Amino acid sequence: MATLGTTARRMPLAVPAGGPRLGRDWRLGYALTLPVVLVIVGLIAFPLGYSVWLSLQDIKLGGQGTFVGAGNYSKILLDSTSRIHDQFWNSVYVTAVYVGGALCGKFILGMTTALILHAQIKARNLWRALLFLPWSIPAIVSSYSWKWIYNDVNGIFNNLLMGYGLIERPILFLADPTLAVWSVLLAVIWQGTPFWTMTFLAGLQAIPHELYEAAEIDGASTAKSFWHITLPNLTSVILVTVMLSAIFTTNSIQYIYILTNGGPGGATETFPLLAISQGLRAYDLGIAAAIPLLFFPMFALFIYVLTKRMLRTES
Amino acid sequence: MAQLTQAARPTLDRPISIVSWLSRKNRAYYLLGYVLLILLSAWTIFPFYWQIATSVRLDVDLYRPSVTLVPQALTLEHYAKVLTGTSSQFPIQFRNSLYVGLGTTLVAVVFGSMGAYALTRLRFFARAGLARILVYAYLAPASVLFIPLFMLMNSLNLRDNLLGLALTHLTFSVPFATWMLMGYFKTLPIELEEAALVDGAGRLTTLWRIVMPLSAPAIVVVAVFTFTLSWNEFLYALVLIQAKENMTVPVGLTAYVVADVFYWGQMMAAATIMSLPPLLLYFFGQRWVIAGWTAGAVKN
Repeated sequence: MATLGTTARRMPLAVPAGGPRLGRDWRLGYALTLPVVLVIVGLIAFPLGYSVWLSLQDIKLGGQGTFVGAGNYSKILLDSTSRIHDQFWNSVYVTAVYVGGALCGKFILGMTTALILHAQIKARNLWRALLFLPWSIPAIVSSYSWKWIYNDVNGIFNNLLMGYGLIERPILFLADPTLAVWSVLLAVIWQGTPFWTMTFLAGLQAIPHELYEAAEIDGASTAKSFWHITLPNLTSVILVTVMLSAIFTTNSIQYIYILTNGGPGGATETFPLLAISQGLRAYDLGIAAAIPLLFFPMFALFIYVLTKRMLRTES
Repeated sequence: MAQLTQAARPTLDRPISIVSWLSRKNRAYYLLGYVLLILLSAWTIFPFYWQIATSVRLDVDLYRPSVTLVPQALTLEHYAKVLTGTSSQFPIQFRNSLYVGLGTTLVAVVFGSMGAYALTRLRFFARAGLARILVYAYLAPASVLFIPLFMLMNSLNLRDNLLGLALTHLTFSVPFATWMLMGYFKTLPIELEEAALVDGAGRLTTLWRIVMPLSAPAIVVVAVFTFTLSWNEFLYALVLIQAKENMTVPVGLTAYVVADVFYWGQMMAAATIMSLPPLLLYFFGQRWVIAGWTAGAVKN
């Protein structure tokens, strides 16, 4: 039996076409994938499961946990007398505004930029380099740049506005409860747009040029061909980008953490920020584990759809 | 047909007077396009410009009531303080970031190449399922993982430790590297490997002598991306590291905020230095990639 296996392995060309052409080799296959599997199991799957286990306990950092079943979840979702209930529903609202606003802004700017870069312009490489600049700067670095730009004392926005006599007192871009989320959004849109531009550009380049020529012959205006050719052909690119960007935007906390740290008064506290403050400042690990898990079904849905698409384009 | 298409599309190669240029079809769109290009570029450049401009400004120039867009005098004192100041932790934190970034990258590329080779070339049970799990793993949200990873590193005595931090960076770098390399390995001509196998080379020899050298451009690209991801990582570093001498640069930047007082000059100098390694890597990596592609006489 073993000899047979060896013979089969030694004759890679004898394997029928269609399957992997180099034949069957499970021992080496498992050996070579073992490190990757160990990382996935030990550092991703186990922590995920552990997180669920934590969320079912009343547990403080360094203390012994007691099993409370769905207690944490019902406290967060239903118990209107607890502080965390209000904080959680506030974070749901803030996360929705934040992610929704970011996606809209990045879509509009990313699409505009991609359409222009796709057109026949002079010095395309130069423009492209300039427009992709926010991407090449670490998010943590640019979040501090924006904090300095928004600063109430000597920040350039306030300095310019006051210099031209447009305002008398500095605008508290990051400390005003209604303004803060929009200030953060502007910066986040600045940082995230190049990713959208890139995927849209790739999508635009894949649209056959003949479609536009046919439309032009039929007398369609540029706006019409955008609406009837460009957008429909980009649907799948847009869908994937929206989902990827939703996952990335929600999970990258640098901008909010640096600009406002969730403040003022929770006005910019998305759920990862709430989980951080529950876990690392209130040391309430059960609650801190439960909060992101409540959002997990949404992520899981996105990830499921994305995986199907990524694997489909693969094959 | 191709020539016709070429001619039908507007070209801007020849100099033309602005009036006849505008009167042509769709010219208004082009004009609008260039106006938008300038506006969009100003928008993308400004924060970066302001970062650099702040880092080379004198403090008196920075904290004046009416700050000017262009620095009045240039200075490198902020850079000097960041790099050589007696109490500056920046050099140590820069080294920490390098250790974590290089370690993560090395492990991700090695694990990734091995895994990607197996997943694209070998046939074994659960291969397709593993490829699928890889994508799930890559997209696993950090916001869900950071609490349990914090507890895990705590119980392993690896909290506030660079090794522990590097381990958490494997959660995104290993699936990413494996997935990217799988995509590239699939494009390699399989005939070379078959020839090697027929000539009696083992699988590992084939991987090491044929697949890896052919994949050099992809490996460089994956390494550059992985290093950058790790270099910029913030959440795990924030959660795991407490001691200043163990911090990586992204978290270390918070040191320039002392009780609501910001040292903006030094902060922006440190931030600028932090932006350099990824930029340099992209610069050199790009040359590598182009060289790799053009030297591809071996490939079809």
